[in-house]
Amino acid sequence: MTALRSYLRRRVVLVALVAFLGAYPGLHNLLVSSPVGTELALVLPRVETMVSVFYFGLFAMSFDFVSGYTGYLSFGHAAFFGTGAYTVILVANGKIPFLASSTPFMLSLLLGAVLAVMLALLIGAVSFRLSGVYFAMITLGFAQVLYVFVRNWDYLSSNPRDGMSVLEHPAGFEVGVPGIDALNLQIASADFVGETISMGWIQLSAAEVSYYMVGLVVLACYLAMRRALRSPFGRTMVAIRENEERARAIGYDTFRYKLGAFTVSAFFAAIAGGLFAGYARSVTPENTFFFLVSGDALLAAILGGFGTLAGPLLGRLFHESLSEFLSDQAGGPHIDVGQLGLLPYLRQTLGESTLATELYNGFTVGEFVEVFVNGHESLYLGVLFVLFVFYVPNGLLGSVQDRLGGTVGSELPAAVRRLWGRYRTELPTTIRRLWGR
Amino acid sequence: MTGAALAAMSDVAVATPLFVDSLLDFLDPGTLASVFVDGLSKAALYVMITAGLTLIFGLMGVLNFAHGSLTMIGAYAGGLVLVVLVSDSTGSVARIGAFFAAVAVVFALLAVAGAGIEMKLVRPLYDRNPLYQILLTFGLTLVLDELVEIIVHFYGIQPTHEWQAAMATKPAFLTATYSLLGLSVVGLDLFEIAFGVLTVVAVWAFLTRTRYGLYIRAGSEDSEMTEALGINVRRAFTVVFGLGVGIAAVAGVLLAWDVTWGASVPLAAETLLPAFVVVIVGGLGTFRGTVAAAIIVGLVDATMTWWFQNVVDFPGLPEMTIFLILVVMLVVRPQGLFGVAEVGGH
Repeated sequence: MTALRSYLRRRVVLVALVAFLGAYPGLHNLLVSSPVGTELALVLPRVETMVSVFYFGLFAMSFDFVSGYTGYLSFGHAAFFGTGAYTVILVANGKIPFLASSTPFMLSLLLGAVLAVMLALLIGAVSFRLSGVYFAMITLGFAQVLYVFVRNWDYLSSNPRDGMSVLEHPAGFEVGVPGIDALNLQIASADFVGETISMGWIQLSAAEVSYYMVGLVVLACYLAMRRALRSPFGRTMVAIRENEERARAIGYDTFRYKLGAFTVSAFFAAIAGGLFAGYARSVTPENTFFFLVSGDALLAAILGGFGTLAGPLLGRLFHESLSEFLSDQAGGPHIDVGQLGLLPYLRQTLGESTLATELYNGFTVGEFVEVFVNGHESLYLGVLFVLFVFYVPNGLLGSVQDRLGGTVGSELPAAVRRLWGRYRTELPTTIRRLWGR
Repeated sequence: MTGAALAAMSDVAVATPLFVDSLLDFLDPGTLASVFVDGLSKAALYVMITAGLTLIFGLMGVLNFAHGSLTMIGAYAGGLVLVVLVSDSTGSVARIGAFFAAVAVVFALLAVAGAGIEMKLVRPLYDRNPLYQILLTFGLTLVLDELVEIIVHFYGIQPTHEWQAAMATKPAFLTATYSLLGLSVVGLDLFEIAFGVLTVVAVWAFLTRTRYGLYIRAGSEDSEMTEALGINVRRAFTVVFGLGVGIAAVAGVLLAWDVTWGASVPLAAETLLPAFVVVIVGGLGTFRGTVAAAIIVGLVDATMTWWFQNVVDFPGLPEMTIFLILVVMLVVRPQGLFGVAEVGGH
C-alpha cells in the first residue's frame, strides 16, 4: 500500500492530469450549461473533438518519439498511421485472408501495429544508412509510394481514390479485453449510433463512451512510450540526438537503437491510425497516407514541444480547438446549448446590424469574418507555427520544462512545495507587519 | 495442385507473350520517338520547377519546403497577367507576347519577394539546427497556400480546380497537333521544351559566365573561404534565394497553360514532391545533376505513362515509379548522380 502511495506521489502531476481528463466530459457539460455557457462552448473543445485530439495526439507523440528523441525527422510517418487505419477497415470488410469480418477490434488494431512494425523494419533498414535531410526525404519517398499505391489499388474498394469505409461490420468497434463481453465498450463517431451507458446517476452518451475508451488506449500507449524513454534504451536515443558519433565511439550500435526507436514509434502510430479508423469508420488516402498528415504531426510536435513526449498531445489539442473555434458549423443535434464556431456566435451576440456594418467599399464585417476567419485555421496555425519557430523553438511544454529546469512531473510539485513553504513562513510576518502598522 | 494455382500459372503463361507483344509495341520507333518527345517536355517542366530549389540548397543548405507554394503563386500571378492582357480577339503572336510579359512581371515580383523572405525570415535561422529551416519553410507553405485560397475564393475562382480562364489564354497553335517527321506532336510540348532549354542555358550562363555566378559557385564550394576572400556571401544568399524563387514562379506561369497541371492551390504539393525527387536524384546542390535527373525522371515518367495507357491497368504507375526512383537512388547512391558527399559544408 505504501509502495503504491509513493508510486502515485512521484507521479502526482500525471495522476492529477488523468483525473482532470477523466472528469472533463462531466465538467464540460456543467460549464456549458452555466450562465456563460455560450462563451465557454465556443472555447472549450467538445467531447467529440477530444476523441480526435486523443488519437491524433497519439500519432503526433509517436512521431515525436523517433523524431524528437533521436533527431531523425521521419517525414513519412503517415505510412504507419495509414497502415493501422487501413488494416482495421480491411479486416472489418473481410478483405484480409483467414480473418473474419467479426474479428475483435483490439486484434485488428494489434495486427495493424504488427504490420507497421514489419514495414518500419523494412523502411528503417534502408533509411538509417542516411541522415539529416536525406533521411527525411527517403522516408517521405517510401510513404508517397504507399500513398500512390493505396490510392490506385482497386482491391481495397471500388473507388480507391475516395478511400474506403466499413461495409460488413454493422456494430461499433469494441475497445476492451477481447473475448470478455463485459469488458468491452463500443467507440463510434457522432454520425454513427454507438453505445450508451447508464449506471445509477452516471449517464454517458456514445461520444463520452468513445472518449473514455479511446482515452484509455492512448493513456496506455503514452505510459508505455514514457517508460521506454526513461529506460537505458531511451537515454541512448537522446545520446544519438545529441552526438551520434560520440554514442558510437562509446560502443553503442547506434543503427540498432535508431531502428528500434523507429519500429516502436511505428507500432504506436499504427495504433493511432487504427483508433482513428475504428472511430470514424471510413478513411481516405488523403487523411491517412498523405505527407501532409505527417506535416500535421510535425505541427503538433513543434507547437507542443519537440522532444517532450506529452507536448504533441498538447499541440494537437491547440490545433483542434482553434479549428473548432474558427469553423462556421452550427452545432449538431447533440449540442443543445450554444452553437459552435465564431461566426454563429458573433451572429447571435452582435446581431445582424453590426455584421452588416460597412468596413470599406461595401465590404461588411460579416463578409470580413466569412472571408478571413471561417475555416481558415491553417492560416493562423501557419502564422503561429512560424512565430513558434522563431521565438518559442522548444514549444509550449518544452519552454515550461526549461523554466522549471526539469520535467513537469518531477519539478512542478517541488516548485509548488517551495513556493508554499516560502509563503507559509513569510505570510504570518507579512500579516503581522500589516496589522502592526 | 489446386485449381487456383493452375489458373494463376495459366495467367502467367498468357501474360508473358502479352508482355513481349507490348514490349515490341513500345520499341516501335514511332512510339519511342513520341514517348521521347513527351518525356523531354516533362523534363523541361521538371528542370524549371527544380532549378531554384537546387541553387538555394547548393549555396546555403536550406531545403525550401515553400518552393511548391511559390510555383503555385507564380501560376496564379502569371494567369492574372495573361487574363488581363489577353481578350478573345487577341492574335496568337500577341498571346505569346503576353506570355513573356507575364513571365517578366512574375519573375520580377517573386524574385523580390524571395529576397525579402531570405532577408527577413531565413537569415535569423542560419545559426540554428538546419531542421528549423525546414520547419520555417513548411510553416510558410501553410500560410501562403491558405492566403492564396482566401484570395482566389474571394474572386469566385474554385481553388481546388484548374483556373480555366488562364488556361483559355493559350494561343490555338499551341493546342494543335503537328506531324513532324511522321510523328504527331502537341505544340505546347515543343514550346515547353524550348522554354526549358532557354531556362537551362540562361541559368548555366549566369553561373559560369558572370562574376556573380562565380561567387555563387565559390560560396557553394566553401562559403567561409569565399567570405575570407572579401566576397559578401550573405548578399549572394539573398540574390540566389530571389533568383530561385523567381525561376520557380516562372515555371508556374508555364504550368498555368498545361492541361495536366493548371493553376490551382493543390499545385503547390503536386510540384513540390517531384521537385524533391529530381533534386535528390541529381544530387543536392548541383545544377548539372538537376538537369540530368530532370531528363531521367521526365523520360521515365513518359515511359510509364505509355505503359499505363496501353498495358498495365494501374493509374498510379507513373507517379509511383517516380518515388521509387527516389528510394532506389537514395539506397544506391545517396549523394545523387553528380552530388558530392558534403554539399557546401552542410
